[in-house]
Amino acid sequence: MATTTAAPPGGAGTTRTGAARPALLLLLGLAALALALCASVMFGSRSTSFGEVIDVLTGTADPHITTIIESRYPRTALGVLAGLCLAVAGTLMQGVSRNPLAEPGLLGINAGASASIVAATAWFGASGSTDTMWWALPGALIAGVLVHVIGTAGSGTSVVRLVLAGAVLSAVLMAFIQAVTLSKPEVFDSYRYWVVGALGGRDFDVFWSVLPFAAVGFLLALVLGPGLNTLALGDATAVSLGSHPGRIRGGGLFAATLLSAAATAAVGPIAFVGLAVPHVVRALVGVDFRLQILFSALLGPTLLLLADVVGRVVMRPTELMVGVVTAFIGAPALLIAVRRMRGTT
Amino acid sequence: MTTATGGGTTPPRTTARTTPPKGFLRAGPRVAIPVRRVSVVAAIVLLVLIVVAAVATLSMGRLGVDLADLPAALTGDAEGKNRFVMNRLRGPRLTVALGTGAALGLSGALFQSVTRNPLGSPDVIGLAAGAGAGAAISALMFPDTVPVAVGALVGAVLAMALVYVSTGTGFRNPARLVVAGIGVAAIGAAITQYVVYAMERDKASVLTAYVNGSLAARSWSDATTIWLVLLVVAPLTALIARRLDIGEMGDDIAEGLGSEPKRTKSAAVVLAIVLSAAAVSVAGPVAFIALTAPQIAKRITRVSGPHLLLSALTGSLLLVAADLCAQQLPLFDDLPVGIYTMAIGGTYLGYLLVREWRRGVL
Repeated sequence: MATTTAAPPGGAGTTRTGAARPALLLLLGLAALALALCASVMFGSRSTSFGEVIDVLTGTADPHITTIIESRYPRTALGVLAGLCLAVAGTLMQGVSRNPLAEPGLLGINAGASASIVAATAWFGASGSTDTMWWALPGALIAGVLVHVIGTAGSGTSVVRLVLAGAVLSAVLMAFIQAVTLSKPEVFDSYRYWVVGALGGRDFDVFWSVLPFAAVGFLLALVLGPGLNTLALGDATAVSLGSHPGRIRGGGLFAATLLSAAATAAVGPIAFVGLAVPHVVRALVGVDFRLQILFSALLGPTLLLLADVVGRVVMRPTELMVGVVTAFIGAPALLIAVRRMRGTT
Repeated sequence: MTTATGGGTTPPRTTARTTPPKGFLRAGPRVAIPVRRVSVVAAIVLLVLIVVAAVATLSMGRLGVDLADLPAALTGDAEGKNRFVMNRLRGPRLTVALGTGAALGLSGALFQSVTRNPLGSPDVIGLAAGAGAGAAISALMFPDTVPVAVGALVGAVLAMALVYVSTGTGFRNPARLVVAGIGVAAIGAAITQYVVYAMERDKASVLTAYVNGSLAARSWSDATTIWLVLLVVAPLTALIARRLDIGEMGDDIAEGLGSEPKRTKSAAVVLAIVLSAAAVSVAGPVAFIALTAPQIAKRITRVSGPHLLLSALTGSLLLVAADLCAQQLPLFDDLPVGIYTMAIGGTYLGYLLVREWRRGVL
């Protein structure tokens, strides 16, 4: 019987159609996200119980508990938004460049956004999240384009090249950022709080100001899904199927940059979510980019919210920022991946 | 240096155009430093430039020692302000810069020769980030008991060990090296950023300056540390210079020629780590000198070989020149020297990469 060769884990009798497995995974993903959402409003310096969360949602809790739980709404919302942005941006970049290491952080986009924000704070009096958003965007865009120009110069392609180009650009931009922040104490102060990557201490204004950018980027990603599928077959095949590889690539990079700029502006540079989630998603749902984008949008928020919860409970009464937690989870994963790299020189 | 055969003032032989005349500076049966005419000329030019940069460092700016007073100040006869500048401010700083630059250049040349890979240098394998994290942790958790420099040292060594272990193939495969280095650097950066976030602003600012590599407020004890290490290690590198030179032709050839490539490599890596660790402990992780100095040395002479002496001299020159910028450029006030080397070195590295790619090397 077919069930013995193609049974998905825990899915007896669901192997007849190709859509059963994704549907099941979708349910699991939604459940995981719901759990992460719950955990995000439950845990903190004063933990609450699941019953109390239900009470607050139904409006029957005591006002003190309501205040505590509602104070965690903004960071939860930001976690969802930033997680979605980073994960979908990573999926797009890995699809467009066919490079398993493509990620906003590694490709210099975070450094571009940071440099731009630092410059704006230092010389153009930018402050507040909306201002920051507008400044993060051009910096991220320029950095993204530059890295691709440097990384694809000459002939041939290599996985390492883009990453190296990203590292070089990041180094130069980092020198600029350090120069400005070290000579202007007030910029240093706001920068050091921003650069660790934190969900806490921000209100809904930040969420609303970056939402439009994230929405445009995400919609563009959804639209590009089928095109990315044809691109994966190779440029020649894509052209013969009536696609425009150049347009898809450009659109994909633009959407990825929009998404990562939105996330970076809202919560600071957060590494590895954009790298790790697409790999996990590919392992789960396969090569179809429409599914990859959808599941990245589910898994990214789940991962980021859980990392944030971990950061809130491991060092009580103080907090570990989510950017630190993701680096500590993501970097070892990268090191393990390096050990498994084959044939790349 | 003038005892070199084929060097000094001897005119080049007729075969010079295809095979550069090659001689050795010998000392006993085991020591033979390869010396080429072009290397000797380059070394002299570099030395002259270093002296010029050093004189500029001592004499420029509001506190500078007048050129006329400089000879007296150097022999210790100066009084008042000049004495203070020489003994407390710029004297130790310049001495540390010279030594640290040389140590970094030498360390980079050893690393690149062993890995046969221009990217196999302490910068790429996360040494700076590791040193930064070590310094940050010691500053936050043991502010009065563990010196920041010791923390930096421990962090640097740990980061290198982590990269070495996680590549699985040692330092040989450039792709793995770079990616593992990025991973380790990400952990280091996260730790440093957290500490900078958690500290008071003034302390955080001081820590950030150190973590970028700084030569401000160096003392004679720093100068003694780095120069002592150099005096011990540099002769040892000279001992293995020729075998490293052979090793660059590949392990098989080296073995065929009777040198033991594995032992040579291990010795070179240990020496390189000692040198860069010493540099980190006196000046913090100064970016890109170890990476660029050997590359520049290689491009000056355009012959193969590890170029140990030239890399050391180039490193010295780069760091002294960058420190001169840090002290005298009016753009920003008193920035850590590492920021200048990061900006210049990063740009140069980008240029280098594009060039290599155009030739299809990497």
